[in-house]
Amino acid sequence: MNRLTQSMILILLGGAVLRITTVSTTYLNYVKPGFRPFLIAAGVVVLALGVIGLVQEWREAAHDDDHDHSHTPGVAWLLTLPVFAIFLIAPPALGAFSARSEEPQARPVAAAETYDALAAGRVNEMTIGEFVGRAWGEGADSLAGQQVKLTGFAVPSEKKDRWYLARIQIACCAADGVAVKVAVLDADMPPENTWVEVVGTWKRPPSGRLEPGTVAPELTAVSLTSIPQPVEPYE
Amino acid sequence: MSERVEVTAAEEVPPPEWGRRRPLGAVSPWIFVVVVGLLLLGRLVFAPYLTAPALQAWATIFVAICVQALPFLAFGVLLSAAITAFVPASFWTRALPKRPFLAVPVAGAAGAVLPGCECASVPVASGLMARGVTPAAALAFLLASPAINPVVIVATVVAFPGEPMMAVARFAASLLVAVVAGWVWLRFGRAGWLRVPSRPAGHGPRWRSFVEAMRHDFLHAGGFLVVGGATAATMNVVVPRAWLESVAGVPVLSVLVLALLAVILSICSEADAFVAASLTSFSPTAKLAFLVVGPMVDLKLIALQAGTFGRRFAARFIPLTFVLAVVVSLAAGEVLL
Repeated sequence: MNRLTQSMILILLGGAVLRITTVSTTYLNYVKPGFRPFLIAAGVVVLALGVIGLVQEWREAAHDDDHDHSHTPGVAWLLTLPVFAIFLIAPPALGAFSARSEEPQARPVAAAETYDALAAGRVNEMTIGEFVGRAWGEGADSLAGQQVKLTGFAVPSEKKDRWYLARIQIACCAADGVAVKVAVLDADMPPENTWVEVVGTWKRPPSGRLEPGTVAPELTAVSLTSIPQPVEPYE
Repeated sequence: MSERVEVTAAEEVPPPEWGRRRPLGAVSPWIFVVVVGLLLLGRLVFAPYLTAPALQAWATIFVAICVQALPFLAFGVLLSAAITAFVPASFWTRALPKRPFLAVPVAGAAGAVLPGCECASVPVASGLMARGVTPAAALAFLLASPAINPVVIVATVVAFPGEPMMAVARFAASLLVAVVAGWVWLRFGRAGWLRVPSRPAGHGPRWRSFVEAMRHDFLHAGGFLVVGGATAATMNVVVPRAWLESVAGVPVLSVLVLALLAVILSICSEADAFVAASLTSFSPTAKLAFLVVGPMVDLKLIALQAGTFGRRFAARFIPLTFVLAVVVSLAAGEVLL
């Protein structure tokens, strides 16, 4: 692989990274919002490396025909694979496929030890992670009788009377995504993977309280609104 | 791998008067044009069909691993190139103890100051070796820095509220593994196993050799990073997490299983504490093993190390690190958690 090709691969990769971070918000499907400045910086560095290589190539091609010193192996071609994936598959945010299984839930990332009391008499908007965190363990009473509004996507359940409202939590990138789910009762399930806002009330489990990390808490739905996918798809 | 490909190519294309790299050099820009052509064609023709949920989930995780690692890789490569281009070799002989036996723990502890994840540490360690640092000391640095740097330790404290001993145990166990692995390599390692990366001959001004080294390292390490990312994404989609829960209660087996999970998932060391915290059904010792093994041995690191230091190195060093990490985690879990 000569310097011309190396430079072009770098330009392609740097360009792809800058494209998903600057002119669109696609990068939010893959990493936390806080990554943006670092991604832009890395994209600029990679692009600059490629452009410098092209300039060197152009300036030296005339009088130096043995300039290929760097033994870059063919493995560098693989750097075009993420670019292909970005442009061809245009990978969407993780959705129902990654939240399907009925296995015990993970503890929500950064579930707080204690929660503030909810405002009475109005709909409290909160993340699914917070709802699950409250419903598991000590904070459950704070949910009793309160209307809450949750945002997530629809996931089918193996049980007949319910479906799941789910959201993926990420700590760094989509590879560490963990699904948090709430079982929605008394509402018809929208098509799988549809984003919805659900207003409803927490249903106290028959046993009184749920141990953390066991089953999804239940929500009796009052209303259901379809919404477009949020710009920031992860919690 | 590349050497072998070249040799067979030379056998199949007999004319001896051909320069070895010449034909490839002339052809590769055209391959590139074909690649870009496929990209444009594929976007028009195939993109509507590439919608299977499993494929999309795979692609999301694959792109996420690559995109997330890119800033760290660029940073590591930048630092590595700066080390080789601007820091004189004499600096390292002064900064590190003369005796390799002492240089290993000093280099390991120095890992605490590089705030990066494992993708950054491989090019930096290779830059250190190219600058004459004892390989065993550079390896201790390579293992320690992604596990014990301040960002990772703070993330661990945040992920385990009310369990500060988890961060302490992680720091102590990781540093111990790094130093012991360095010493074992110093005592038993042979020079022939490790391919100390050579730098492209630096002629002309320094900034030029800096750019050359950066481009070379980035393309090289980046290619292997993609291999690791693709493997990790495949495992992530294919291996059902339900298998894990079934062994959560078994004492030693659960530790081994989480250690292997850390290898498979290849999560960035700055995020793995949050995933460990979410594995509620496992014992603290098993979670500690997850945190100690992950930054030292995972699929993308295996690909990066094999690519940078050679396969003979990776085949010995990676099992050594893995076994050490599991044993030390078991011991540290017993004592500290």
